[in-house]
Formats: sequence, C-alpha cells, structure tokens
Amino acid sequence: MEDHLKLEKEVTRRSFLKMMGGLGLSGLALTLAGCENNTAVNAGGDGWLPQQYQIAGTWPAQVRGRVPIEASNPSIVRDDQKCVLCGQCLEICRNTQTVYGHYGFPLINDIVCINCGQCSLWCPTGAIAERDDTEKVLQALQDPDKYVVVQTAPATRVALGEEFGLPPGSWVMGQQVAALRRLGFKQVFDTNFTADLTIMEEATELIKRVKGELKKPLPQFTSCSPGWVKFCEYFYPDLFPNMSSCKSPQQMMGALVKTYFAKTKNIDPEKIYSVAIMPCTAKKFEAQRPEMNDSGHYWKKQSLQDVDAVLTTRELARLLKRKGIDLNSLPEESYDPLLGKSTGGAIIFGATGGVMEAAVRTAYFFITQQEPPAQLLSLTPVRGLSGVKEAAVDIPGVGTVRVAICHGMGNGRQVLEAVRRGEAPWHFVEFMSCPGGCQSGGGQPRTSVPPSDEVRQKRMASLYSADVRMEWRESHENSEVLALYQNFLGHPMSELAEELLHTDYVDRGKSFKQLASEELPDKV
Amino acid sequence: MVPKGVLVDITKCVGCGSCTVACKLWNNLKYDGTPADGKDAALGAESWTAVKWVEAPKDGETVWRFVKNQCLHCHQPACASACFSKAIKKTADGPVVYDEKLCVGCRYCMLACPFNIPKYEWDKSFPRVRKCQMCAGRIAKGETPACVGVCPAGALTFGEYNELAGLAAERIQKGGYINHIYGEKEAGGASWLYISDVPFKDLGFRTDVTTRPLPEYSESILKLTPAVGLGWGAVLTGIYVYNRRRNEIAREEGEKNKK
Repeated sequence: MEDHLKLEKEVTRRSFLKMMGGLGLSGLALTLAGCENNTAVNAGGDGWLPQQYQIAGTWPAQVRGRVPIEASNPSIVRDDQKCVLCGQCLEICRNTQTVYGHYGFPLINDIVCINCGQCSLWCPTGAIAERDDTEKVLQALQDPDKYVVVQTAPATRVALGEEFGLPPGSWVMGQQVAALRRLGFKQVFDTNFTADLTIMEEATELIKRVKGELKKPLPQFTSCSPGWVKFCEYFYPDLFPNMSSCKSPQQMMGALVKTYFAKTKNIDPEKIYSVAIMPCTAKKFEAQRPEMNDSGHYWKKQSLQDVDAVLTTRELARLLKRKGIDLNSLPEESYDPLLGKSTGGAIIFGATGGVMEAAVRTAYFFITQQEPPAQLLSLTPVRGLSGVKEAAVDIPGVGTVRVAICHGMGNGRQVLEAVRRGEAPWHFVEFMSCPGGCQSGGGQPRTSVPPSDEVRQKRMASLYSADVRMEWRESHENSEVLALYQNFLGHPMSELAEELLHTDYVDRGKSFKQLASEELPDKV
Repeated sequence: MVPKGVLVDITKCVGCGSCTVACKLWNNLKYDGTPADGKDAALGAESWTAVKWVEAPKDGETVWRFVKNQCLHCHQPACASACFSKAIKKTADGPVVYDEKLCVGCRYCMLACPFNIPKYEWDKSFPRVRKCQMCAGRIAKGETPACVGVCPAGALTFGEYNELAGLAAERIQKGGYINHIYGEKEAGGASWLYISDVPFKDLGFRTDVTTRPLPEYSESILKLTPAVGLGWGAVLTGIYVYNRRRNEIAREEGEKNKK
C-alpha cells in the first residue's frame, strides 16, 4: 500500500507535463538547429516517372513527351489523368505522319494538327480519344422536329464488328444498317454512293486536265482524305493547283442530302440532321469547315451546314452498346434508296490504292467507251501496304497513264517533294492520311494497339473480296448515280455539280514558320 | 556544389503540357480540377507547374504563346526569409525547398513571395504549403527535374546556372528574342530564367518586381536590431545608474541636513 502511494507521487500530472514539454522543446531545438537536413532529398518526388526518364545526368530520353492537343480540337481530346508520357503519340505524329517537329518556331497562331487521330490508335492508356459526339446525335434522335439521316463510310463495315467480338475484317454491312435503323435514323445512306460520285467527278476532272481542257497542272491529287487535305494546306499550299477540287464523299453526301434528297422527298432541309459514321477523326474537322455549307448556299439559308455530326466507328459502337443493341444478333438490311446503291469501285475506297483503282476503271471507260480489261479490275500494283506504290496503265487513245499511291503523310512527303522538284512522272496521285488508308483510320476500333499490319491486311482483304462479289465493279455503272445526274446535276462538273460537289482550299502555310528541307528531322 | 538552374525558352514551347503531367506523376499530385494547361491554367496546391496559353501581340498580329509557371527558386528567396520556422530553405544546388515537418502554417511565405507561387491546402485539417521543389531529390542524384526531362520540344534546358545565363545571352544575341532575361535580375535573380520573343509583360509576367533581393529590405532594418537592443539597454542602464546615483546623493544630502 505504501509502495503504491509512493509510485503515484513520483509520476504526477505536473511532472509528466514537464517531461513532455522538455522533450518537445529539445526536439524542436534539434530540428531547428538543422539536425534533420535531408529536406532537399525528401522534398516532393514521392511519385514515379516512366523508366525512359530515369536517366542519370542530363541525358535526354529517346522517346519523350507527347503531342500538343488544343482544347478546342474538334477531332481528338486527351485525358491528362491517363497520360503516362510514354511518347507513342509523338512517335507516330513525328515519324509516320511527319507533322510534329516539321514546323518552325516560334509558333504563330495555330497548334499544327491534321486531325488524323493516329495518335489515338497508338496511345496505350487510352488517354487520347476521339471527341465524343454521341450525346449530340442522341439529342437529335430524340428531337421529334428533326429528320435524322445517316451515312456510313466504306471502311466502317469491315471494322465495326471488332467492337462486338468479331475477328478483324468481319463484313457487317447489313447488320450496321439494321443497327442504325434500330437507333432511330430515318434514312440510312451509303457514303459508297458518293464515293462512286467522287469517281465520276474526279475522273472527269483528270481527263480534262490530261486533255488540256482544264488549265491545271498534272499530277492531279486526290482530295478525299481530310487529314491529307489539311496536311497539304499546312505544308504544301503551293501545290493547291494539283489538288482535285472534288469534295470528299462525306461532304458530297452531306450536300446532296440537304438538296437532292430534301427536294425529291419534299422535306424541309432545315429539319434534316445529317450524321456520318466514319473511320476517321479528321472528318469531324472537315464537317465543321465553314465552307462546307453548300446546301445553305443552294437554299440561301446561311445556317445550314452540310454534315451536322460525325461519329467514328468507336463512337457508333459505344452508342449501340449504350442502347443495348447487339450487332451480332441483327439481321442484314440494305441501304435506303436514292443515295444507297454502290459499286465495287466505291467499296475499295476504304483501302489504300482503292480510290486510284476505282478511278482508273472509270477513266478507262470514259476515254475508250469500253469496259476495262480484267487486269484493271484487279490492279495488284496499287494494292498492299508498301508506302509508295506506282503503276502504269495503257489506255487506248491517251497512251500510258502513270499513277502513284501513298498513305501515311511521311510517304506523302516523298511524293510531294518530287512534285515540287518537277520530277513527278505521274498523272494521278492518291494520298491517304492514315497508313493503310481509311480502314486503318484514326476512328477505327483499337483492335491492336499499336495498329498492326495483320489487322490492316484482314480489313483490306475483306474490302477487296466484297468488291469481287459486287454486281457492279465500276462507279459509272451505279444506276442511282446516273439517275442523280439525269434528274438533278446534269453531267459531271456541271455548274450545279461544281457548286455542290467541289470545293477550294485554305492556305494554312502561314499559320507557322515553314522549315527548309534541311531543317527537317532526319527521319523524313 | 555548383548551383543549377533551368532556362525556359518560350519561343520553343508547343503547349503540350508534358511538363505538367510529369510534375503530377513524380510528385504524386492529384487532379483536383485545376487545369494545368490551357487558357485557364493556374497554379494550385496540387498543380506545382502550369502552362498557360496566352494570346500576345507581335508585329501587328496576335500570336499564341505558352508560358510555363512554377516557383522561380530565387537566389535570395523572400519566402525563406519570411519563414521563422526554417521550413523553407534555399539549398546549395539551387532549389528552394519546403519541409512540412517544420512548417507551422503561418503562410508568411505566401505573402512574401513576389510571384504569388506558394499555395495552401485550405481544405485539409493539417494543411501544408505546396510549391515546386525543383525536384531537389533528382538534382541531388544528378538527374534533371521531371518537367525538364520530358519536354519534347527543347523548351526547357537544365544545367549549371552560370552556363545557362550565358546560353540565354547567346540566344538573344543570335536574334529573334527581346533583350530581357526574365529571372536574371528580378527579385535579385532566380534559378529559373526565361527568354521570349514578346515582352514579358504581355505574357502575364510581373515586370514591376524590384531587382533588389527582397530579404535585403527587411535586413536593412532588422540588421539594426543588435545595435538598437544594445543601445537601448545602454541608455536604460545609464538612466538607471544616473537615477540611482541621484537618489543616493539626495538621500545622503537629506541625512546630512538631518544632522
């Protein structure tokens, strides 16, 4: 008992507080005196960086950083929270598309981007994605005042299935039409129809150039890839005269839906909401171009824009999944008439070389008034995935027509430099912004990351086998296209066709400082 | 140790924001909704660096420029001078670092900083002051700060401070820049230097900052403290001694008079 009391006396509240106070004070004194001086090493830095940046010294990493993306970019967006600075976007943009690093500093008033969206296919974390317009389209579909029509590009029908578990290249044309009807689109049109129309116009333009009726230089460049068009506007504005004045099939369809279709069906063009399903992010940019409002000119209503919304293949898949529509369980349906028929020549637009092959078939017919020989229906030199392809075709009456095909803007640069130097032997050159053409466009399913030639080849094979299955193989055989000319446009490159189906280009060469060729990065 | 620094060449920045992501990754900072790049980019407790998109006039047209903001790591930091608990220190390498264990949360540093850099965790129960640490740990190991290492455009150069100042002068001499190295003289000089082709004022930089190191102002008065303390003590002692002596004399005289 006595011991216990003694113990209580020893640790009183007062002595305990004294002790704690003393300890605290001496601790504070020690730290203030600088006994803990590893602050510098511990300051920040409790996170991580990818291995490529963990280099001692000031050695730079080989692959570093990322591409700049403007907040208002209509095609692509980036989620910083997912970005790990792996540098893959930069690799594709600089080395394959030759955009990043190919403009001079200081910048003027543009973040140079051709909107191709290839970076979104390479991004391993999904940080870069297409700008999601599905909400916009859903709202239009729910609006009873709107007459919502849709068109689908050649290349989406060999890739959409991949989002629903099918192998690459699965042919889902019919199911895609059925799915779009289930979503509530009033009319489902085929961009292939206007691909045929593009060939009619582009082949006519080419023949006029060759014959000298049109005072424009050769070679003629295709103009259906909006990424390529913007690339040319940025880096080769001096070659505008070589550019075909034809709009892309998407924009031709947009202009026709709000004029020809609206007129034929007697629908108020202002109520039409025109949607495009595309393998491409640059199409979003193209649809927003201010000059793409020819239906507005036609009806004298400035508010009309030819195409109101563009969804990539990925967005369409997302929309279908959101609405619980399983592509695999749908029957095959066919496109709506008037702007729905197409030929094999249009289908192969989705692959690199396809536009050229289709154009050659029809140009042969236009010049000779005879069906092209069998080897022109399988023009193997223009097929496949080599970067720059060349072919020579003998056409009775004009002699040898030389053509070139390039895809990926790095390859495009080689051809363009040759044209600039005046060393181009070709009459007609096809440019596709994306490696492999539209089937491997920036809006296609991310079936392999990064994109692989295996997937590209499967999609291309699917397109070419569909071409062989078609009743018509040449664009000028399309009965609906012929009817369009008969009932509305008159003839290729008529005044109305020029107004609705042709365009001109914007010089963007002054939006940054152009580099001399010796200033360009090595890999060009 | 040779003091290190970073040279920011504003003419080379493309506005990709890689540096802001690297900063978040390396310092384990959260995405709290403050945009780290773009028109509304701002520094925050979780954003130690931000790339602000600025439209500035140049040769009669409007040009886009991207301005990376972060702590300038002054040679004589006002924040460190204002900090009475030694939580902010200038290291020999160059970084001005913060130690949360010593911070009492008074936020004097935030008032002292002429560039409005330190931010506070207003929403935390035990808030800290947050700002760029210039990746002091990486520099100590001989690596570049995280933001510099990831810059794809060559807008950021890390190196020995003296060499960077020379590099900046060299680039200005070659042409294409205005003749002003921001950070060379501002607030008495800083470890981060900027060069640009448009006036810094148009880019949102504070150009009315004194070139005298800010701690010198307080020092010019506070250095008198010992003299004033000792002098005042001496005066008081003198008065005390004088009064005591006077009282003594008065008492002695009183006693004399009594006698």
